[in-house]
Amino acid sequence: MSALRLISNRTSQQALSNSDYTWEYEYYEYGPVSFEGLKAHKYSIVIGFWVGLAVFVIFMFFVLTLLTKTGAPHQDNAEPSEKRFRMNSFVADFGRPLESERVFSRQIAEESRSLFHFCINEVEHLDKAKQSHKGLGLESNIHFQEVPRSSGMFEEDLNCLTKFNIPNFVNTEQNSSLGEDDLLISEPPIILESKSVMQSSHRILD
Amino acid sequence: ENISDFSLNITDCTQVVVPEEVFFTVAAAGILENLLVLIAVVRNKNLHLPMYFFICSLAISDMLGSLYKTLENIFIILCKMGYLTRRGDFEKKLDDAMDSMFILSLLGSIFSLLAIAADRYITIFYALRYHNIMTLRRALVILAIIWTFCAGSSIAIALFSYEAATVIPFTILFPLMMFFILCLYIHMFLLARSHAKKIASLPTSTVHQKTNMKGAITLTIFLGVFLCCWAPFVLHILLARFCPHNPYCACYMSIFHVNGTLIMCNAIIDPMIFAFRSPELRSTFKKMFCCAR
Repeated sequence: MSALRLISNRTSQQALSNSDYTWEYEYYEYGPVSFEGLKAHKYSIVIGFWVGLAVFVIFMFFVLTLLTKTGAPHQDNAEPSEKRFRMNSFVADFGRPLESERVFSRQIAEESRSLFHFCINEVEHLDKAKQSHKGLGLESNIHFQEVPRSSGMFEEDLNCLTKFNIPNFVNTEQNSSLGEDDLLISEPPIILESKSVMQSSHRILD
Repeated sequence: ENISDFSLNITDCTQVVVPEEVFFTVAAAGILENLLVLIAVVRNKNLHLPMYFFICSLAISDMLGSLYKTLENIFIILCKMGYLTRRGDFEKKLDDAMDSMFILSLLGSIFSLLAIAADRYITIFYALRYHNIMTLRRALVILAIIWTFCAGSSIAIALFSYEAATVIPFTILFPLMMFFILCLYIHMFLLARSHAKKIASLPTSTVHQKTNMKGAITLTIFLGVFLCCWAPFVLHILLARFCPHNPYCACYMSIFHVNGTLIMCNAIIDPMIFAFRSPELRSTFKKMFCCAR
């Protein structure tokens, strides 16, 4: 009398519509179920279950929305345009075209105290990345996966990059949404860490 | 014989019928889509990464779920047409095998989702060491362990399903894993939020502060889809075990086919929310189809 055989049984019965058919060797007998004297509606479990599930999902959505609220006040826009930089936190912004200007500054790197990974990926920069990762200036987008994959190479690249004090940059466009955009869909991000925040990174990571 | 629905009372809950064409269409779509994902990952060397391997594992378990439903329907049709006997040993063993395939699919889905969440978690919290922690080899070993465990449990559950004890761990595992995955993602969100705050507090920042809904929507979709597709079936198993004679439970169990169709819909939706989000995978698809033309 297994639940699973019960399932197969039901399926077969439905398919054969009304014929007395037993698919299973172990046939689970319900016996007649009396539907008399029901206090609540007969589909109450079905309705209750789906309503409960919907409420739970909506509740979860609101909790997550609250969690993603950044809450910080809008920053003043007084700084000169050359200081504008892109911050891309966590996100591979799939489907959004890459912007043409990417400016990182060493200064900003040292100011930045937060450690992060940002996903810096656009497929069309694959070739550029491969060619330029050695002589990496302060402006390039590197796709983590396009960098040669053996861990030895990765370490080498990382050292190379840290030499240039490439900041963790977080991408915010004026018109883009901030922060945890497609947090969960990212390609494995590359971490570019400036020397000045190495310590804080260890603190945060561990 | 006896089916509770066929008693004389006209207020009975009769089985809700899903046409077989719908079943087969949904199942076939699920199988094809997941097969495409597998082929794309295998063909493109850039996608030979732990993250994509976990996505493949999810695709395989979805495929198994749809395959189970398809095979079951085919066998029922064969029985209707008389090619298979009704109470034979062979049919019984076949049914056992199919049951275990289905449980394997469910367990595989849960563990794959867990692996994907853990991979993303490590990516974010152990980012500097990610490449050392999650090597390709380790990812394959983890997948091998997961699938061995799932295969073993599914066979055990199918063989011992007549014991009451097997249903309970099975149904406890489901919410437990969901809860664990939710915790991982919430922790990631909290970190993202604190990071965004730090960035916003930089003097040079020109950031617009607002609630970013996309992350919340994405995660809600992930977990919501999984819950809505699998929970009805898990509840069905529970009710069938514990209160088959109760009229309320019997009414719930009459929508069993809808629940089965939902599971197949999950197989169709999962690649869309996991695999097709990656631009690399999408471009691989385009190349595959363009070359095919």
